[in-house]
Amino acid sequence: MFMNHDAELVTKNNKLKLKQKILALVKKDVLLEIRQQYSFYGILLYIIATIFVLYIAVQEPETKVWNGLFWIIQLFICINAVAKSFLQESKGRMFYFYSIASARDFILAKLLFNSAFMLLMSLMSLFLFSLFLGNPIQKATQFIGLVLLGGWGLSLVFTFLAAIAAKANQNAAIMAILGFPIIIPQLLLLMKLSNSVFSYSSSIALPTVLLIVALDILVIFLATILFPFLWKD
Amino acid sequence: MKKIITSLFLFLLLLKIEAQQEVQMADEMNSNGKIYVVVAVMITILIGITLYLVRIDRKISKLEKNK
Amino acid sequence: MATPKDYMQKQWWKILSIVLLIYTFIAGLLMPVPRIPQLQETIRNLYFHVCMWFAMMILFTISVINAVKYLRNGLLVFDIKARQYAVVGIVFGLLGYLTGTIWMSYTWADPNNPAYASFSSIAREPKLIGAAIALLVYFAYLILRDSIQDLDKKARISAVYNIFAYTLLFPSIWILPRLLPSLHPGKEGNPALNFNDISPTMRLVFYPAVIGWTLLGLWIATLKIRLKILKEKIILP
Repeated sequence: MFMNHDAELVTKNNKLKLKQKILALVKKDVLLEIRQQYSFYGILLYIIATIFVLYIAVQEPETKVWNGLFWIIQLFICINAVAKSFLQESKGRMFYFYSIASARDFILAKLLFNSAFMLLMSLMSLFLFSLFLGNPIQKATQFIGLVLLGGWGLSLVFTFLAAIAAKANQNAAIMAILGFPIIIPQLLLLMKLSNSVFSYSSSIALPTVLLIVALDILVIFLATILFPFLWKD
Repeated sequence: MKKIITSLFLFLLLLKIEAQQEVQMADEMNSNGKIYVVVAVMITILIGITLYLVRIDRKISKLEKNK
Repeated sequence: MATPKDYMQKQWWKILSIVLLIYTFIAGLLMPVPRIPQLQETIRNLYFHVCMWFAMMILFTISVINAVKYLRNGLLVFDIKARQYAVVGIVFGLLGYLTGTIWMSYTWADPNNPAYASFSSIAREPKLIGAAIALLVYFAYLILRDSIQDLDKKARISAVYNIFAYTLLFPSIWILPRLLPSLHPGKEGNPALNFNDISPTMRLVFYPAVIGWTLLGLWIATLKIRLKILKEKIILP
């Protein structure tokens, strides 16, 4: 009886610790971001510059082109925003994390932070997109929901790929090579879903949304299982 | 009456022929036996590749034994 | 020196592969096939083209199994196996892609329709996109391998990518055909083809053909693996 209770307490304690650890790691990432603001502003400038170039090139495109461009830009923003998350960590610092946190906590913290970061960037790019390239969206709240969902999915996949790329000679180009084939289906799903927000008549297909969520959960699951193998050196 | 039946029969026959002609197959090639030429060529190529694979297999086996 | 009998007992599957392939070539060309408009006599391509996809997927699956094995016990042999199976899988995939484009440009695609004149109109086919994604994943796998110098690190990281990409590949191959308009027969069912479409006589050839081609792929892969192991004898324990 006691043993059981003890064991329960221990697991409870561990769970608490896990949560705290992950939060601490996320906090560290946030603090880093605030300290080294150049990277944050760098991404921001990247978004503004790309969208401005697009504005000069196509001005107000029709909805289909708008949709396609938006998601492609989203993809590139995600690669740039997430790539640094592992590339910025120096070898010594990684070693330090290795000694204080477990691999699973570390990757979960990274996934959490990058998701939040990407959600912010998605909203920013949506705002700039509708500012510069016109606003063909009829159902704004639904589209914002989709943008957040898409940004989340993209950030999850690329966070894990960034972890792989960081091990492969810190090469950011390899991340794109590894990521594109995997992300194509998800992008297609998102583009197809968001086509429906441009008119009042069509509605968003709920099964497809659930499918994307399921894919995201699968990515998180795989990341927590596989990351420990990348971690040890 | 007989005429009608025969014409109906002819009509059905015509339909059947037409239905058969709809999908063109290489029936002639099958009937005059030229298809066997194709089979022979393909089998020869297959056997040639197989013999090559067997030779490589043997060579590797030999190398493995020498180690 | 192994006696011929020993050899036969160990190598029976290679002989089976060749026997099945010879059967495929003979029966595949001579057996009657259903008369389907548009496809006509080209339906016999089923015994050759579709088998490439099956062989590719089976080889990739074996590659992933070996990647998992490597992560579990860290023996470099499994890494060599994972890589060679992936390479042979790529070869079969490329053959499938090529034969697929040839077959479809003469059957579903209307040659008189100018919209089908370019390669891009054919490559838009969701099945081909799915196959292209699978190939791109494994090309990326090979590039990733080459970019890392350290042997153990290379093996570990590429195994991780192999598992990750393969697991995400399956939902995508399943999703894509349901998303995009397709000309491919059996588009609502199995990604490769709808098995209800094939007549029973065709099944008599098709299943042996799949086994035969897959075994041939396995044979080539094992040859490559043995050669590689001989070459790397020094680093292997």
